Amino acid sequence: MFKQHHVAPFAISMGTLLLSQIALTAHAAALMGFEDSAMLMTEIGRYNQEWMLNYSPTFGHAIGVEQMRMSGKGERATTISGINYTGIIKRWNLPAAQANIWFNGSIGEARGQYDGFAYTPSLQFDIESTRLYFLAKARMIRAPHMNYDTAAVQAGFSFYETGFNETQPWFVIEAKTMRNNDPGLQVTPALRLINKNYFLEFGVTNPWQGEGFAPRLNAMFVF
Amino acid sequence: MKKLLVTLMLSVITPAAFAVTTIKAEVNGMVCAFCAKGIEKKLNALPQKQSAFVDLKSRVVALQLKEGQDVSNDAFSKVIEDAGYSISKLERVNQTVDAIQAEIAKAEKAGK
Repeated sequence: MFKQHHVAPFAISMGTLLLSQIALTAHAAALMGFEDSAMLMTEIGRYNQEWMLNYSPTFGHAIGVEQMRMSGKGERATTISGINYTGIIKRWNLPAAQANIWFNGSIGEARGQYDGFAYTPSLQFDIESTRLYFLAKARMIRAPHMNYDTAAVQAGFSFYETGFNETQPWFVIEAKTMRNNDPGLQVTPALRLINKNYFLEFGVTNPWQGEGFAPRLNAMFVF
Repeated sequence: MKKLLVTLMLSVITPAAFAVTTIKAEVNGMVCAFCAKGIEKKLNALPQKQSAFVDLKSRVVALQLKEGQDVSNDAFSKVIEDAGYSISKLERVNQTVDAIQAEIAKAEKAGK
């Protein structure tokens, strides 16, 4: 999903500003830009942060770098740094909707609580119209003795249709599980703003009060 | 005399008006501005472009050509397909992008 690089400090400081706990869902429909474009994606969460910068030399394929940082219950954080590939396995362009199956994954090195070779293959299915949206994703996040596998579903709707040059607001809700995380099931209602230049999402993950209060930020930029 | 003047004026204006060529396409899968930005960027980069227009609601992409210049239907289709979309209808019209935009806005208003 979303990741980060030298933008890490930027993403981290944004998260810190917003609170110190952000659980980002970086699951947007688009995992890459258009031909000859670069995309920056960030995901900042209470237990995990990610950022990825990729480049699409041709439609349907993108290569880049990714960094993920996460920690389980009572564990030190582990950071995975690696090279990433994103590809469209199948796209359906329908008259009023689009659906995709994506592959995304990194190989790299884990450091921290767990050390060694790390790999993070994932599959994502999404379908959206100008008013409705659904996504399902599963991702392995593995290193020696480490397992942070995740699965997530999202569904949402836009409040109204907009023109190409306008910002469209969406309500999106996500349910996500990550092994070794607490809470085991993270539910995040969020407000998503989509513009032709950016994708921003602000949400709060359960529990929605007390010490566990966990706002989250998700952002994508294509250039 | 008046009629002659009007005829002369029309004969000057009409060829210019008919010289407008716009490639207009209906595009499938174009549901998100963030994802469709590539179409606009690629069209704007074409040296033959006079004006370009992308509309999510009507699924219309239009490219008005500079006078005397051309982009083949295949080249136009490639821009759309390279951005990840597919064309369901393609036509050449003697309308400016502004006129197409106004027509779509009018139709949307009437549809509300």
